[in-house]
Amino acid sequence: MSLKNQGMYWPPLDRRAFLRWLGCGGGTAYLAACGTSSTPAGKGQKVIVTFWTPGGGGDFCTGLDAIARDFAQHYSSIAIAETQCGTGEQEFHEVLLARIAAGNPPDAAVLWTSPAALAARGALLPLDALMQQAQYASVENWPPAVLASCRFAGKTYGLPVTAGSCGLWYNRDMFERKGIPTGRDDFPKSWDELRRLSQEFTVWKGDTLEAAGFMPWHAVEDLPIWSALNGSQLYDAANRKYTIDAEPNVAMMGYAVDWLNQEYKGDFAKVIRSGNWEGYEIEGRQPAFIDQRQAMFLTYSWNMGLPIFAQSASIWNIARLPVGPGGTKSVAGYWPNWLALPKGSRHVEQAFAWLDYMSGVGVQTWFRNFPDLPANLKVPRDLLPTALVDGKGKTFAQDIMNFFRDQLDSATPMWDSPVQDFATDQLRRALERIMHKVAKPRNALAEAQRACQGALDKVLQAGA
Amino acid sequence: MAVTRAQQARRGETRRREAYAGLSFVLPWLLSLLLFTAYPVLTTLYLSFTDYNIVQPPRWIGLQNYRTMFTADPAFWTSVGNSAYYALLAVPLGLAGALGLALLLNTRAQGMGIYRTLIALPVLVPPVASTIIFVALFDPDNGLINALLQTVGLPTVGWLTDPTWSKPALILLSLWGLGASALIFLAGLQEIPQALLDAAAIDGAGPWQRFRHVTLPLLTPVILFNLVMGVISSFHIFTQALVVGGTTGKPLESTLMFMVHIYRMAFRYFAMGQAAALAVVLFLAVLVVTLVIFQSAHVWVYYEGSRDSHR
Repeated sequence: MSLKNQGMYWPPLDRRAFLRWLGCGGGTAYLAACGTSSTPAGKGQKVIVTFWTPGGGGDFCTGLDAIARDFAQHYSSIAIAETQCGTGEQEFHEVLLARIAAGNPPDAAVLWTSPAALAARGALLPLDALMQQAQYASVENWPPAVLASCRFAGKTYGLPVTAGSCGLWYNRDMFERKGIPTGRDDFPKSWDELRRLSQEFTVWKGDTLEAAGFMPWHAVEDLPIWSALNGSQLYDAANRKYTIDAEPNVAMMGYAVDWLNQEYKGDFAKVIRSGNWEGYEIEGRQPAFIDQRQAMFLTYSWNMGLPIFAQSASIWNIARLPVGPGGTKSVAGYWPNWLALPKGSRHVEQAFAWLDYMSGVGVQTWFRNFPDLPANLKVPRDLLPTALVDGKGKTFAQDIMNFFRDQLDSATPMWDSPVQDFATDQLRRALERIMHKVAKPRNALAEAQRACQGALDKVLQAGA
Repeated sequence: MAVTRAQQARRGETRRREAYAGLSFVLPWLLSLLLFTAYPVLTTLYLSFTDYNIVQPPRWIGLQNYRTMFTADPAFWTSVGNSAYYALLAVPLGLAGALGLALLLNTRAQGMGIYRTLIALPVLVPPVASTIIFVALFDPDNGLINALLQTVGLPTVGWLTDPTWSKPALILLSLWGLGASALIFLAGLQEIPQALLDAAAIDGAGPWQRFRHVTLPLLTPVILFNLVMGVISSFHIFTQALVVGGTTGKPLESTLMFMVHIYRMAFRYFAMGQAAALAVVLFLAVLVVTLVIFQSAHVWVYYEGSRDSHR
């Protein structure tokens, strides 16, 4: 009996029909691919929360997955999908914003750009209501200046899960050899004192800088700190105004140029050619401090857990940053990792539960994998980088980490502008032009001020 | 009569069928043109009059992006200057280099096939890879180029670290890909009738005179093509500049090309409207320059068989 006789006849599939079915099938598959990857869960089913990070490498992401597994043991109704670690060759925020615009974002994400900037563009969900009920992430559990980086228009759009604070690293061996007191309390309290001390160590051989004391500020990310140390700020978040060309800032940059002229032959290019004066390896160049060629530099807390510091042969310590002529008190800066819920997140409550857990508990595992300083005040203070304990002993490690945790309390607000990346580039431009003597501090800062205020006004106008 | 009408109707039917068939054959290309070229171009034009950050819907702001670009964006004029400098030097140098190579490849030396292949090979290397290799070559401390300069007793140069030398370094880098233009020149050279060159030789013309008065005039259509393509691609230089100078155009914005500025505006600051306005300005600039070149072609390009071919 033929199939036709059984009523199971299939018409012959000609070329046109085949192409028609192929088109329909392809279209359906395409639409499905554009759709959500996290579907609403039925009753009794686990909610799957999708989670992205901008990158960070294999260990960082496998560490996050380990935290997710711990989380799942505490929250039986929520599962965290495998962390999407970066977005391949495409820029993370480009993909994230495109997915938000398409209504298909991840439920939660780590951000490396200021939540204030993304919030101003309507890309993030406010967290204030959720934070009120949180176990770890409530407002009072964050250092205010650090949480300020997440605030825009009176609302909070992110959690600064880690915030590496800064201090001034100094080589005690080099100090002792010159008979200079090495205690933290003996360290210079003002820029003038620091400058005098720096000259003790700086040695030139022809046009090559053999050894350096302290390099005046030349990293754009640190500029808000030096500005605050001189009693000013670059961005006034309360009044939504840039103050880049305010007199104390012009004076701050003038001070750096004067220092450069006096101690470093006025030529920043020569300084750069002579060595790597940062606290980490750059393009295969070992930092100068490893070879006892640099006595002091500004550094961040995460470095203390890295072998290059923890196992360094020299004896070192960290001190608070000295105050400028216009300032009254020492302040610190910080460099965070933020957690946020993108607009369009499908499982807001569950995703926030994950962020809350990460803020207080998960961050401790994070710290053990990579020593980013937890910012949440509920995280125990005896959390120490293993490498530092092994290299320098527990007492020293505890002292150093206490120092950095305390530094967060005196941090100056940073990363809080709605046009953060634009402003960073404009400030970098101004700084380069000043350091390479292409422009006077006043003119370079005024140009940056005009550009930043213009961009800020435009973004705020759009938000309004 | 009836037969004729029937024949006409059949012919009309055939023509219609042929037209439909032709249209259906070009339909994929037409759709692609409308979807992937016309639509983005028109959207870019529209977005250039809006404030658009991807997440929120575009907001009409009239000419504000253009005003900002010309009056309040310091990087705009820097990138215009950098791109103009690059185009003015890289295009003539590239044309001269490619023509020189083509002349060498047009000789009857042994193993010419191998040389032609070798000259064309760099075109196949991805721009990112070739740029990274050049960054290593140009390294002021450990690079091969400075080592060679030192060997011959010349002072070393901070190729990619000194703002004075970073653009010349990018221009030198651009010569890496002149194999494509050289092959087009080679094809043009091989089209030149040998009889004309022989006649000139019999008339006593030396190699330079034959090149100047026979080869070069007959090659002008190819020069025009390579010039237009060179100008367009020089305005569009992106990958090399981005790999060398990042989005800030280091050192000191000396490698901040116009395309990098557009990219930065769009995908770092997410100011899509501003980036669209920059793209429109770039389009207009390339259009004007190309039209000027085409207008000038009446004066210096020789088209065999045209009314002016007696010139």
